[in-house]
Amino acid sequence: MHIPYTTDVRPDTGLTNPKLGIWLFLASEVMLFGSLFSAYALLRSGSVSWPDQSAVLSVPFATLNTVILISSSITMVLAWVGAKSGELPRFRLYMGLTLLLGAAFLAVKAIEYNDKFSHGLLPSTDNFLGLYFTMTGVHAIHVLAGMVVNAYLLGPGSGMFRTDPARFTNRVEIAGIYWHFVDVVWIFLFPVLYLL
Amino acid sequence: MHVRGYIGIFGALLVLTLVTVGVSYLQLPTVPTIVLGLAIASAKATLVVLFFMHLKTERAMVYWPLALTVFLFAMLFAFTLWTEMDHITL
Repeated sequence: MHIPYTTDVRPDTGLTNPKLGIWLFLASEVMLFGSLFSAYALLRSGSVSWPDQSAVLSVPFATLNTVILISSSITMVLAWVGAKSGELPRFRLYMGLTLLLGAAFLAVKAIEYNDKFSHGLLPSTDNFLGLYFTMTGVHAIHVLAGMVVNAYLLGPGSGMFRTDPARFTNRVEIAGIYWHFVDVVWIFLFPVLYLL
Repeated sequence: MHVRGYIGIFGALLVLTLVTVGVSYLQLPTVPTIVLGLAIASAKATLVVLFFMHLKTERAMVYWPLALTVFLFAMLFAFTLWTEMDHITL
């Protein structure tokens, strides 16, 4: 089946279809995370007392994860630059690094979760921990989803680099826009849950 | 944008991360802590969205749905916090 406007710009929108599609999808994602952030704002502002977040959670772990995710954003950009300039090995190197950094983020998150569980700190403990596990859990699922797409582009999907390089580069850019969005969500989760 | 530009944005993001963690150790009162924390996060998010997500050079057809999203996002918070306005304690 021929999918129109994957690389050609559609005259009435001025965009390729995947570009418009990913931004509309991200608009819905903004509202998904918006509902969670506003739930946090409502529960915190309405509470009589709120735990000292930085004492309950580990700021060093979260700082490390922030650096990891920001680093994965730059490697994702460099993977796209590699694909765009027709250098497959360069694309592979940076996409591989992006995947590794995504895995490192989830590993640190797993250590954090495990640490909380082992101290009896569960989502049912209080409103803050309920929000913490929900918000970081939904975010971690997004990281995992991005890794699945990135792994496809690095592995079986990379055959398109030879058959249709322009379309492949667009796919990498679209996957990148999603990946950076996941980074942006963490950029807000970090201060809101750990520092404020 | 060239690779050097992207690396520059990456450096700025790392510096802002250090700043936000540093500020949190100052133990400022609640309101400045929240304002500063969100301001730095917004600055970082703006850099990522404009440059890594290429929004700076995007077309109007992307801007309009996003403008609507920003409005709806703001309303989500406005209506939620409105219900708490009479007894918010910071």
